[in-house]
Amino acid sequence: MPENNKTIEYDALIIGGGIAGGEAALNLANVGYKVLIVEKDLSIGGKMILLSKVFPTLDCSACITTPKVSEIMRHPNITVFTSTQASNIIKKDDGTFEATITKQPRYVIAEDCTGCQLCEQACPVSVDDQFQYNLVGRKAAYIPFSIASPRIAAIDIANCTLCGACERACPTKCIDFTQTVETYSLKAKTVIIATGFQLFDPTLIPRYGYGKFKNVITAMQMERQLAPTRPFNTILRPSDGKMPDNIAYILCTGSRDKTVGNPICSQVCCMYSTKQAQLLMGALPMADITLYYLNIRAFGKGFNEFYAQAQAMGVQFTKGKVAKITEKENGNLLLRYEDINGGGVVKETEHDMVVLSVGILPNQGIAELFSNDELVLDPYNYIGQSDFLASPAQTSIKGVFVAGVASGPMDIPDSILSAGSASSDAANYIRHLNKKTVSV
Amino acid sequence: MEAKKGETYKVLKEKMTISQEIKDNLKTFTQIKKSILNALKERRMTVPELSKAIDMSTDRTMYYLMTLLKYGFVVVDEIDDMDEYFYYKLKNNG
Ligand SMILES: Cc1cc2nc3c(=O)[nH]c(=O)nc-3n(C[C@H](O)[C@H](O)[C@H](O)COP(=O)(O)OP(=O)(O)OC[C@H]3O[C@@H](n4cnc5c(N)ncnc54)[C@H](O)[C@@H]3O)c2cc1C
Ligand code: SF4
Ligand code: SF4
Repeated sequence: MPENNKTIEYDALIIGGGIAGGEAALNLANVGYKVLIVEKDLSIGGKMILLSKVFPTLDCSACITTPKVSEIMRHPNITVFTSTQASNIIKKDDGTFEATITKQPRYVIAEDCTGCQLCEQACPVSVDDQFQYNLVGRKAAYIPFSIASPRIAAIDIANCTLCGACERACPTKCIDFTQTVETYSLKAKTVIIATGFQLFDPTLIPRYGYGKFKNVITAMQMERQLAPTRPFNTILRPSDGKMPDNIAYILCTGSRDKTVGNPICSQVCCMYSTKQAQLLMGALPMADITLYYLNIRAFGKGFNEFYAQAQAMGVQFTKGKVAKITEKENGNLLLRYEDINGGGVVKETEHDMVVLSVGILPNQGIAELFSNDELVLDPYNYIGQSDFLASPAQTSIKGVFVAGVASGPMDIPDSILSAGSASSDAANYIRHLNKKTVSV
Repeated sequence: MEAKKGETYKVLKEKMTISQEIKDNLKTFTQIKKSILNALKERRMTVPELSKAIDMSTDRTMYYLMTLLKYGFVVVDEIDDMDEYFYYKLKNNG
């Protein structure tokens, strides 16, 4: 049973600490509002903090995200709760909100942890590292990843043997297995939903062999391989550690595909695949990179030039629908595809690694967080925008706004713009409420 | 039971039972770690060579070797003559 139930009060509750939630928090905090960010994971930064470089500028993602997340963490008007979820959000008659905030124990006293990693070294348990998308292991006592924010340890209690080695090794004695779930009753004037997205699960397309063929990986796994904090010493095949020299991408995996229940375009896969292809050409100069696509959607600022740049570098773009992948004994993969520009003939090519450009999907269960008012979703289960053209951040509940991919697929610049719109609407809403209270 | 700083795990140990799965996972990792480090004591190896030496599939060998690289037990050496596979060696073995 949760032990405590303190009442806390903020101007704004932001659900989700990715780039959209973080940006919205900074905007509100900079004009003097008190903000609470609740993040379900151990670190803020969302997907962006785990990316290698970003299209179309090829700036290092960590170099942009790290100063931003540290600004968020240090801002006097922002409080960040990690491993935390909001629920039972109630809109009151006066236009304000109440919510239950549930914080899972980290089993580490945050203020005392120096991030020295001695607990990690001492821990004998190794399980899949979710932040490296299971390409390597991590300990049960662990710092989530090197640029995590907060950069403090956590105990994965579900995999811990309670041997006590971490606790004995900790120089500041900050590991505390007596921590329990904490609950808070929150009062806030506005809510911003910035819950982002989840990746399409490619095992739902069995003909691509993901999970079975070890050299078929997702684009997020390739992002990690391309990042400075990569899981391997360089880009290698998970099946046997060979340096790949002939890599294929399958675009639109799980997007624009009614058969897997996601008929819409994920907006970012064409460009992140084009980005990865360019980065691979730099990292593996002898490698051939082929992108199998249906249409290349290069609609944003600088995107078409970015696509042309990849072509000029020698990236092969093949308009083709991949029907099936089979694995050879040496781990190489045979792609059977319909060559659309070649008269529709069925061809077969061999590659030594295949990257699935997985689509993005909305996170589930967000509407259920609201108790007395209905949060309407759009037909694809993203948060519905009730006044899309005039006020894109407005949801079906007045005073609740949406930012970033929670409202639909978009890239980082658009997520930041959308956070700007949500925070300015939220600030107006707070000001309006404050005026009402003063005039009463 | 009163929680003593530095020994709070004992409190939880009294309340929780550790599943067989968690115990088995620890055992597997400890054994594989030992066999990889033992094999690399002999000489530096690529993933396929190590896989043969410890009689484990190449993909599992890769996963555990990269994990031991991350944990600091193993370091990367040169790439082979064909520019295909890296050699890996023990950290404190030259
Ligand atoms: C492989 C890949 C490569 C990409 N490369 C690029 C690129 O190069 N350039 C570019 O512009 N874009 C790129 N993108 C897109 C980019 O990742 C997104 O635009 C961006 O991350 C969106 O940010 P967000 O904050 O909306 O969502 P997210 O990054 O998903 O953040 C949402 C946060 O909310 C948290 N959360 C979710 N549900 C809850 C809940 N119920 N309670 C509390 N917290 C919750 C999550 O844990 C997460 O931290 C790429 C995407 C992928 C998949
Ligand atoms: S108590 Fe748990 S987290 Fe700590 S060292 Fe032992 S297994 Fe690892
Ligand atoms: S919990 Fe202790 S040992 Fe682990 S990183 Fe923090 S201070 Fe270091």
